[in-house]
Amino acid sequence: MTTTADRLQIVVFALQGNEFGIDIAQVREIDRLVPITRVPRVSAHVEGIINLRGQLVPIVDLRTRLGMPHAAPTKLARIIVAEIGTRSIGMIVDEVREVVRIPADQISKSEGVLEGLANEFIGALGKVDERLIILLDVEKVLGSEAPAVLTDKGNV
Amino acid sequence: MNEEPFDRAELLRYFKDESDELLQQIDADLLRLEPLAATSRTDPETINSLFRALHTIKGSAGMLELGDVSTFAHKLENACDLVRNGRLPISSVLIEILFEGRDLLMALIRSGIEGTPSQNSAGFAERLETIVLRHSRSEGEEASQVASERATAVAGKARPRTIRVDIARLDVLLDLVGELVITKNRIAQITTMLTRGEATDPAKLVAELNTAAALLARTSTDLQEAVMHARMVRIAGVFERFPRVVRDLAKSRGKEIELTIEGAETDLDKTIVDEIGEPLMHLVRNCVDHGIESPKIRRESGKDPVGKIELRAAHEGNSVVVQIRDDGGGVDLARVKERGLALGLISADAEQTERELLELLFVPGFSTARSVSEISGRGVGMDVVRRAIGRLSGTLEVASRPGQGTTFTIRLPLTLAILGALLVRIAGELYAIPIDAVSESLRLDASEIARSESGESIVHRDRFLPVIRGAEFFEVGGRSESESVLIVVLRAANREVGLVVDEFVGDQEIVVKPLSELVGPVAGIAGGTILGDGSIALILDPSALISEVHRGPGSIVVSGAMHQR
Repeated sequence: MTTTADRLQIVVFALQGNEFGIDIAQVREIDRLVPITRVPRVSAHVEGIINLRGQLVPIVDLRTRLGMPHAAPTKLARIIVAEIGTRSIGMIVDEVREVVRIPADQISKSEGVLEGLANEFIGALGKVDERLIILLDVEKVLGSEAPAVLTDKGNV
Repeated sequence: MNEEPFDRAELLRYFKDESDELLQQIDADLLRLEPLAATSRTDPETINSLFRALHTIKGSAGMLELGDVSTFAHKLENACDLVRNGRLPISSVLIEILFEGRDLLMALIRSGIEGTPSQNSAGFAERLETIVLRHSRSEGEEASQVASERATAVAGKARPRTIRVDIARLDVLLDLVGELVITKNRIAQITTMLTRGEATDPAKLVAELNTAAALLARTSTDLQEAVMHARMVRIAGVFERFPRVVRDLAKSRGKEIELTIEGAETDLDKTIVDEIGEPLMHLVRNCVDHGIESPKIRRESGKDPVGKIELRAAHEGNSVVVQIRDDGGGVDLARVKERGLALGLISADAEQTERELLELLFVPGFSTARSVSEISGRGVGMDVVRRAIGRLSGTLEVASRPGQGTTFTIRLPLTLAILGALLVRIAGELYAIPIDAVSESLRLDASEIARSESGESIVHRDRFLPVIRGAEFFEVGGRSESESVLIVVLRAANREVGLVVDEFVGDQEIVVKPLSELVGPVAGIAGGTILGDGSIALILDPSALISEVHRGPGSIVVSGAMHQR
């Protein structure tokens, strides 16, 4: 995550009532939910693939990935398409709230804040006024460090 | 300050492509010169070509300020110059050191491009100097020790993601784009007329629209074909490295082998050409290592002590067939059977056909080699080769005649980009099956499917045909309990499987898109395609599916690319 700048621009979204954020530099676009084609024999958190203007983009259910209970998406649900290197991957979130700027000194490394959450994916915590935003480490969540996890088969 | 007029990275890429070609050529030239070593003859044309190749590399490297490369190329060039002037005779020692020099040059070029520290070439330069100084005709025996290392170096190829396209092919593309623009204008014109309410004669407009649609259809088909052609390259790029590999391997194995190559001009999709090298390499090594017998054994069985390997490529309908044939001892079926029994792959009661026994070679972990050879052993088996070819939508078969040799036949599609497919529905999702792999489709009564311990099957054309249910195979849904079932008979590498689907949707041409690396590889799925309405169909990989069924469930390995060492 780029913390070199004084302020970090963060896309804030909601999941299970908590506020999460990812670095805007990693976000390619935000889309409404579209029909998702299931792909057999991939791990449970891979929801399937979508057609993003001619490119096949895999979609991850962020709730499942972070160990939260599955919930049927509402009208507010969005797909955030993130970029890892040259590859794109979409994540389903409950709702996209806003883009905020967080001053670098309001970002702290912190561990074990949220019980029951897969803490290894948390990059840092950001504070905006009194709100606490959990900053996700996109690469860890979505894969390039652990592609093997994504190809786990047999637990669809 | 003036900016650099060229992008250095771009130039380096270009240099890499250029030098790859030239290094291939140097190899070919040296191979051509090698037989002259024993004679007093010379071949000015080849020596010139060698000289020019080195000279070009030296020049380009100098331009790019790759000092190590240009200095080294210069030394080799000097030696060739002496040969050219008749001051240095062609000896086997010389050829050997030039081969070695060529490999060092390749290493230097690579580290120069990548900016990694380069290998020390001083020792080599000294030896070259000694040979040149001595002008000697004496034959040394230092030859073979470098052979096997070198084979590895040659095998470790690079894959530039660029392609050289004949300008004429690009012109065709440009013409077609011109057609597209014309059609677009026509449609724009019709829309304008409609918006302005100038359309007095609707029937005429409809007719015009129809014409435009027909034109668009024709142009896009032509465009598709032209782009496909632009992506095609000659398989020569892959074949070219084999003379050298076979020579080196044969030498290190103490065998004499003559390699003939046919059909190097055969065109294939660039992606396939890039990927086929490694499986081919493995098969060729297999022929050298296990196929061709030692000269002694060959002499004893009344054969020419010089073994022959044939590598040929040819178009056959909509596919390309690549064959590797050796005139060695053939596959020892008795030993295959023995090993099959030992591994519990076949039962002693049943009589196996020759084909069934040969199929055992493709079972993971099956190897009949007495000793794990340095060259084709180490666990990279025929199953991996077949799977690598399967990933290219190709098939691999083997035929063997005792005492007369073994033939590997690879069948590849012309292109990976576009293929004819049968669309089917399985558990609500659309799947595309490459039409080449569909031998027929059937509608049967559900009761005709027989269950046994090993799975389900039907009797079809007097033979048992294993049947799998798509929904179960892909773990995407329950079994449908209708009275009739639809079965697509899939065929790859001479084996068949019936796939139960829910609906035949139709056949169409599809554009193949890879599944994201972040998802795949998924066993049984070759990719995806986007249909006319924007929805996605997954493309089945028939050979993976068939292998899995024939091998029993759960044993398929989801692995990445084939890695050797």
